Amino acid sequence: MTEKPKISMYWASSCGGCEIALVNINEKIIDLDANFDFMFCPCLLDTKKSDVKELPDEDIFITFFNGGIRTKENEEMAHLLRKKSKILIAFGSCAYEGCIPALANLFSKNELFNTVYTDNFTIDNPLNVLPVPKSAVPEGEIEIPQFCDALKTLSQVVDVDYFIPGCPPESKQIWNVIELVISGASLPAKGSVIGAGASSVCVECDRKKEEKKIKKIYRNYEIIPEKEKCLLEQGLICMGIATRDGCGALCPKVNMPCTGCYGPPEGVLDQGAKMVSALGSIINVDRIKGLDDEKITEKINEVIESIPDPAGLFYKYSLADSILRRKVNI
Amino acid sequence: MKTAVYFCSCGTNISDKIDPRTVEDAVKKSNADVIFKTAGFLCSEDGKEFLRKDIIDNGIEAVVIPACSPRDHEKTFMNVLSAAGVNPYMMQMVNIREQIAWVTEDKEKAAAKAINYINAAISRVMLQEPLEKREIDICSDAVVVGAGPAGLKAALSLAEAGRKVTVVEKSPTIGGLPVRYEEIFPNMECGPCMLEPIMGEALHGNASGNIEFLTLSEIEGVVGSYGNFTVKIRRSPRYVDTEKCIGCAECIAPCPVSSKNPFNCGMNDRKAIDFSFAGALPNVPYVNAGVCLRFNGGEGGGKENAGDAGDNGDNENAGLCRLCIDACPVGEEAFKFGEKEEILERNAGSIILATGSSLYDCRNIPSLGYAKIPDVYNSIEFERMLASNGPTEGSIKTADGGEPQSFAIVHCVGSLDKNHKDYCSGICCEYAFKFNHIIRNKIPSAKIYHLYKEMVIPGKESGGLYEHAVEDKNTVFIRVSDINGMTVKEEGNKEGEGGKKIVSYGLLRSARNSDHYCASGDNGNISVDLVILCPAVVPGKDMDKLAGILEVVKDKNGFFEELHGRTDAGRSKIKGVYLAGTCHSPMDIKEAMSEGMAAVGYVLSGLVVGRKLSIDPLSAVVNQDICSGCKVCIGVCPYKAVSFDEEKGSSSVNELLCQGCGTCVAACPSSAIKANQFTNEEIFAEIGIMTA
Repeated sequence: MTEKPKISMYWASSCGGCEIALVNINEKIIDLDANFDFMFCPCLLDTKKSDVKELPDEDIFITFFNGGIRTKENEEMAHLLRKKSKILIAFGSCAYEGCIPALANLFSKNELFNTVYTDNFTIDNPLNVLPVPKSAVPEGEIEIPQFCDALKTLSQVVDVDYFIPGCPPESKQIWNVIELVISGASLPAKGSVIGAGASSVCVECDRKKEEKKIKKIYRNYEIIPEKEKCLLEQGLICMGIATRDGCGALCPKVNMPCTGCYGPPEGVLDQGAKMVSALGSIINVDRIKGLDDEKITEKINEVIESIPDPAGLFYKYSLADSILRRKVNI
Repeated sequence: MKTAVYFCSCGTNISDKIDPRTVEDAVKKSNADVIFKTAGFLCSEDGKEFLRKDIIDNGIEAVVIPACSPRDHEKTFMNVLSAAGVNPYMMQMVNIREQIAWVTEDKEKAAAKAINYINAAISRVMLQEPLEKREIDICSDAVVVGAGPAGLKAALSLAEAGRKVTVVEKSPTIGGLPVRYEEIFPNMECGPCMLEPIMGEALHGNASGNIEFLTLSEIEGVVGSYGNFTVKIRRSPRYVDTEKCIGCAECIAPCPVSSKNPFNCGMNDRKAIDFSFAGALPNVPYVNAGVCLRFNGGEGGGKENAGDAGDNGDNENAGLCRLCIDACPVGEEAFKFGEKEEILERNAGSIILATGSSLYDCRNIPSLGYAKIPDVYNSIEFERMLASNGPTEGSIKTADGGEPQSFAIVHCVGSLDKNHKDYCSGICCEYAFKFNHIIRNKIPSAKIYHLYKEMVIPGKESGGLYEHAVEDKNTVFIRVSDINGMTVKEEGNKEGEGGKKIVSYGLLRSARNSDHYCASGDNGNISVDLVILCPAVVPGKDMDKLAGILEVVKDKNGFFEELHGRTDAGRSKIKGVYLAGTCHSPMDIKEAMSEGMAAVGYVLSGLVVGRKLSIDPLSAVVNQDICSGCKVCIGVCPYKAVSFDEEKGSSSVNELLCQGCGTCVAACPSSAIKANQFTNEEIFAEIGIMTA
């Protein structure tokens, strides 16, 4: 009997939701086990880094790598797993495009540390202790992974074969990918986004769409949206238009605007910029006709000011992989 | 892809500032496989021949030409590429003359800039794809909407050029507004007489066979695009056969019912069957079904209760009024009482909008008393009063029947005023002095006051009427700063009874009032018998509907918006839809006529019989597989080239209408729309090199 191909899953800077999404394939996990040797997954299994190190190169058939590259340890594991895996898949939004942890790229390391360890109501840190890579303790020296200046995506650190989007990826889509591999069908071109569509969430959303003209932007708590009508047309910033399909439009189906976790549609380089560009095209065009420049600026500012956190809204998932990537000179 | 750079020195225009050798070395260093050649004048005959031959000899597939602005010679070099058998879109010009050589003093900086630009162009030209022009068959016929001066001129001229024209006119008559004016500025010609030769030619002249007039008709819908529109026209029934009726007017007197005549602004009545006014063309009366007894269950008179004209003669018409039919020398066949509203379809390659305009509603300035106080008229009402075929047959009368001895002519009503219309219509002063002239002829002793904000009398012929007014000792000019603040009241308590009107302008007398124009001896009030208001010219009432159907953009004042206010004022933003006359801006008859002719020029040069329409491939293209149907793009196209296919659930761009502006490309949140030759890949490649 030939040995089953190995499969592994690693978490770098992530929340653990990706692992839960994998387990959410429910009883299909048995099929997974029947077809693969699920041999490394710090969240679920007891195998260690040293076990991986001992494997021959490319011995793991597939590695699902979730989480962004925030620390030197993340980086080291990315290199290790790249080396040991035949197919390395950036799994979930963090590994693919940075996700929420990447919003920290708008601040310097010091600002982040201050926020987390000192300037915070719930923190009591009179000695102002901040993490440092090496610290002396009575028992000797302890070392923790070094915190990098910015969060990077997996593909910004190592060569990546495929990307599975989502925060987290939908279990159904995870299974689609695993099933494809099991079926022995030929795999898509390297660099492809898999486990998702190529268009945008709107193709999966059955709300009625009309020509879009948005008069006013609302935050979610401000209105109860109509059930049938496109949320964006109702003034809620639904990122669905600039987000890859594949999730099944779960959020819009329950009256919540899409926040964009499946990342940019095929061919879009910068999800946030695309969303801003699209919004700029549909906001209030009629009302500014004939006004003088000053009035127009005023009106535009009014709209802009109604969006309290543009970075967190438009780049909630994609900042690290966008054209912007991070704030510079900080 | 075998790529070559042909550097044009432009004599010394470029090479004086940018050393070709320095550039060549640097470019070759970063692009080892690229051929680099320098020419003195690439646009000269020798230069073009060198380029053609070199492309062939070296098997070049993509070309970068650092030279002048592409506005100068892009077409020239594209033609050379075609002649060399290379797709003309496999070229990128780099404007190193205007953008570098002419504006950069430092030679080193100039060379560095040129190297950067050229490298960027190389990076993008390698990503460019061959594009093909497409050709489509066209329909050379035209639809003209509106039969006023502009529309008539356009229709007649197109017909004379051999084009089939359908003129769609919503009223029962042709000629527009001027046929309702007894006399026209600046030379006091008779309005209907002035238009008669044009209308006569159009109706009965040599080219009339090419013109179809559809009166009482409106545009109901338009599909298709430039070169191939299908226009749906809704024609309301006239109930009189325009072919068979001889226009003798015998039917009118016997008609037992009347209603207000809209052509005389409701100032008199017309019979249910009547002409709009005497001399109206086509010379056929029309029936107002709203009051005609036949449509309102009333029994009239006439011969036996027989069934009659229109259809079948069955008994349902028994007992209906037939006084007009009985009076008609032609007989029943001249009537079509069974006529129904119809929807007609016409194919046309071009559409000319010449729908005219109307006047600002003076009720918007209530203090002027319009529509409340008798003897306060707007200018069209006064025109009708002056007309010999109007309600008073040309005599000027007050409401109580007397001859007015004093007049206030108020210019600038609702004009040059932010709260109303901020523009000057440019024709009101001129017709106000025409009124002055006519009043003076009819009532030699009348006192005439002109109240105005600004005096605007452009044109080489307009001085005459103005001079007459200025030299006339019984004409007084009063310049005011604000028309809104003026009040018109009836003297004493004779409300509604006619009599003197007090026009108060006291505090508003303009500080800029010159002595020459200053009224003397009044205290800011003048007492007159009749007030004429000259309101701003505004878009016609039905323009909104038409704009909606044609998707023609309107400007902030509601007029149809021009493609370009100066260089292309005759074109709307929709390709193949042209604008003539006051539907896009206030103007006089001369301008409207010229604009009608200008629209003809667009039609004749744009769609030539026997020639196909070539489509520029630099357009936006929708990838139907990626388009999610979010409809963000639908409203953004200034040329209405983007439409949505509900069945496929995706958008598409009509390449014929697309001007390649890229607005939809930027708007498309899923990058399903690509702009040919301006793809993300091409643009980012360029930016990548420039910022490296």
